[in-house]
Amino acid sequence: MVATAFSSLVPMETEESQIARGLRRRDPDLLDALIEQYQHRLLRYLLHLTGNRAVAEDLFQETWLRVLEKGHQYDGRNRFVTWLMSIGHNVAIDYLRKKNPRSLDELQDPEDGAPFEPPATGPSPFDMALAQQQHEMFDAALGQVPAIFREVLVLRFQEQMKLEEIAQLIHIPVATVKTRLYRGVMALRPALTGGAL
Amino acid sequence: MTNREHERALDLIAERGLEGINSSETAWLESHLAACAECSEYAALTESTGRLLRSVAVTASPALVMTTQARLRARAMYLQERRSRTVLIAISFCIGAMSSALSAWLWWRFGGWVAERVGLSSAIVEPGILLFLLLPAIVIAGLLLAFPHPVFEGSLMLASAREHEGEKR
Repeated sequence: MVATAFSSLVPMETEESQIARGLRRRDPDLLDALIEQYQHRLLRYLLHLTGNRAVAEDLFQETWLRVLEKGHQYDGRNRFVTWLMSIGHNVAIDYLRKKNPRSLDELQDPEDGAPFEPPATGPSPFDMALAQQQHEMFDAALGQVPAIFREVLVLRFQEQMKLEEIAQLIHIPVATVKTRLYRGVMALRPALTGGAL
Repeated sequence: MTNREHERALDLIAERGLEGINSSETAWLESHLAACAECSEYAALTESTGRLLRSVAVTASPALVMTTQARLRARAMYLQERRSRTVLIAISFCIGAMSSALSAWLWWRFGGWVAERVGLSSAIVEPGILLFLLLPAIVIAGLLLAFPHPVFEGSLMLASAREHEGEKR
């Protein structure tokens, strides 16, 4: 969407450099287009990180405000989505630290963890109910996974990010990403091998 | 089987989804998974986790998107206005500084001319000109010290007190 909006102006420029240029100018049309394009991915990431929809929506807005204010720092050399998620990561970390400075892992209030929206597809009411039950169970299991592992799982499997990108986003080595991925998957083992999923 | 082989297998399982692994690595991994129940289980769990996470649908509501866009536009406008104001203030400061320097120099020359005409010594004229130039600032400083309420307590101190109160809450 963004690429098509700007491609007529500078055909040789990459999408990332066009975004970087627009962010430096604080172009409101570009920002509108970026919000439209990345709305679901950012919200999904924040929701998994915080486990609370209302908080995730607040952080969603805060993230975009930071994108506006710090837009000049984006140089267009990396994918925009990686930079956006790293802003979201920092916003979430700031929120979680303010909420409870002890540890990122201890911060999720189980009562706050609203279930995620069920998928909208299913050939029959029975299949739909089964799928919904499976997702609710999976969400509950995912909510029990410590936040630092859950974050890596979400970035890897939902956002389809490369290990290198995740490492860059969270500011950790690639080896640590792999370790967190392993530990995250293993933390889900009881739920996944329980037969319900 | 060595720990090194298990580590290699875990690395390849992690990488094979997106980064991609070559054919010889794939062949090695397949043979390892066939022989190693632990790594094979991890590979299966990784696949299930990915499948389940990809099927979770989370969507942002149109209201959230519209609110965010409106907030961003308002903020962008505010930042633009603030930037324009900063530029104006900087320009005004530069013009004011240049004008003050020029005025001081002209007054100094004028004082010298008057001293020469009247026949006064520079020991009297120079302090006199300095006093004349500094007089407005001295008067304003005196007034501020004498009547602090409307200027300081009315704005800066009140703002500071409000901020302090907000932090307490």
